[in-house]
Amino acid sequence: MEALAAKHLSKVIGDRTIVDDVSFDLRPGEVFGFLGPNGAGKTTTIRMLVGLIKPTRGTVTVCGYDLRRNFEKALRCIGCIVENPDLYRFMSGRENLEHFSRMLSVPRSEIERVAELVNLAHRLDQRVGTYSLGMRQRLGIAQAMLGQPRVLILDEPANGLDPAGIREIRELLRGLAAERGMAVFVSSHLLAEIELTADRVAIIHKGRILRSGTVRELISSNRVMELRVGDVERASSILREKEVAFTTQDDLLLTAIDEADAPPLIAALAGSGVGVFHARPRVQSLEEMFLEATGGETVD
Amino acid sequence: MHFIGLIQNETLKLLRRRRFAIVVAIMFVIMLLVSYSQYRQLRDLKNQNWRAELQERIARTENRLRRGRVNESWARSMRAEVRRLQFYLDRGINPEQPTAPLVVRTFANAAGFLLLPLLIAVLGSDIVSAENAEGTDKLLLTRPVRRWKILTAKLVTLWLFASLTLFVGAVVSYLVTAPVLPAHGWDAPTFNGFQFSGDAFRVDAVRQLPLWQDALIAYGLEWYALLTVASIALMLSVIFKSSAASIGTMLASLIGGTILTRISPDWTAGKYLFVSALPLPDYYTGQAPPYEGMSMTFCILLLGAWAIGALTVAYGLFTKRDVFG
Repeated sequence: MEALAAKHLSKVIGDRTIVDDVSFDLRPGEVFGFLGPNGAGKTTTIRMLVGLIKPTRGTVTVCGYDLRRNFEKALRCIGCIVENPDLYRFMSGRENLEHFSRMLSVPRSEIERVAELVNLAHRLDQRVGTYSLGMRQRLGIAQAMLGQPRVLILDEPANGLDPAGIREIRELLRGLAAERGMAVFVSSHLLAEIELTADRVAIIHKGRILRSGTVRELISSNRVMELRVGDVERASSILREKEVAFTTQDDLLLTAIDEADAPPLIAALAGSGVGVFHARPRVQSLEEMFLEATGGETVD
Repeated sequence: MHFIGLIQNETLKLLRRRRFAIVVAIMFVIMLLVSYSQYRQLRDLKNQNWRAELQERIARTENRLRRGRVNESWARSMRAEVRRLQFYLDRGINPEQPTAPLVVRTFANAAGFLLLPLLIAVLGSDIVSAENAEGTDKLLLTRPVRRWKILTAKLVTLWLFASLTLFVGAVVSYLVTAPVLPAHGWDAPTFNGFQFSGDAFRVDAVRQLPLWQDALIAYGLEWYALLTVASIALMLSVIFKSSAASIGTMLASLIGGTILTRISPDWTAGKYLFVSALPLPDYYTGQAPPYEGMSMTFCILLLGAWAIGALTVAYGLFTKRDVFG
């Protein structure tokens, strides 16, 4: 059974449709990426998943409980951070965790456990106001882990973190999914981040889901091979002979081909003596992917 | 069990914001000043003929009334005051003799009029809006606790602290004045229930009670008034998203409403404002309400209606609304 299922979620405010018929499900043991530019409806969708916003249409089911009818049981299944990891700055980390564990009626031993999990045990008695953004992000995750929820929902967890912090969070999330079988939902506007963290991904734009699938599918379907060659003219004619679509950019040839077709093409070019300096995959930027998916012309 | 945890949470947050500490400090400073002034009064009183003093006060008030340059609301309460003083004079009781218990008793009236409602406003007007402003509402409302339970925990906590404020006010006023004023006198006689219908002053309804019993009644009435203030503060904290807006509106309606009821007694609809009915202990002691037709029962019912109305709005909004960023 899926850990969380969103079915036909829509949110209309006035005559503006902010989220339009969004459906997806979250399975135990996977990290699900929710990708979209700022203002695409990511946060509104997340707020509907956790009961902050009432959907105009559609349902959310968590661990088999309907969010509307079984609010408390459904939310006991979820740990979340919506937007910023805003906790009570005038209280210590421990007091914050105690605050939320009282709401869940979980024992105090839980606090030590989740603090260990995010490596925060040593700063737990200091005021949250003195924490760095990275530490607040970790405290937010610790809070979300109280009561061992089966679903973890994190909104832009990489925001404001340095590369080491991002990596630490990423490994933590992958571990939670792989070792504990949690279903982890992560939103981001950075494709690279999602590519490294998530197993499956949905791309949202202007309130609609444009694409969804495994990260591998999505990335490889949008991969462009970049070739730098000595003789662009001759290389171009070889590609035309092989009926491979391509564009040129100075001394670069850009071509969208399946990975499996790459080795014979490179071999042919190298054999003809045009001088291949490098051949490498170039991942389409998120922006390019959007332009393409929304019917705009592809860049390059 | 679960619900007690929620109240514990709200209490912790309220204390950590240091609001209550500020409230107690304000009351302490004010009572120190009161204590000093009462002490001076006591010193002066020893060399004075209080009967002559009282007669002079009555004459002075009557003169002002005769000159007729006061509006009807003031005139009504001045006439009541004259009769009250005359009542004491006739019975040979000095109403000005300060004692610590009397200061405690007077605190219910003097502070209940505006100070205590203001302190409650400071304490509670941002109990919901602060969560909103600091972004913590997103966490609070995504925990497996229904929204009405969270709001109820906040309301109960606010009521607890309103009660505590009143209690601490009484204790502070005793502790601060007891060293410099006579500390005994809890069973001194008090006179209440001065009534006036139209211009006729009636003393037949006057009750004589020992001070402690009289004080309990006054504090009970003030407590009821403060619970109403707390309920209205809760509503404003739900309506507004920023702490400054909710506290500001609450203070403005308390101060503005009080001024309004004092300066325009001919606008009779003003008697339906909650501030008109707020100084319950004053009305109990015998001070005239600002508008005609405001009996004690009317005031109590009016405050109750305001509290119920405010809570209906607060719960309706809080449990239904979408929480955006």
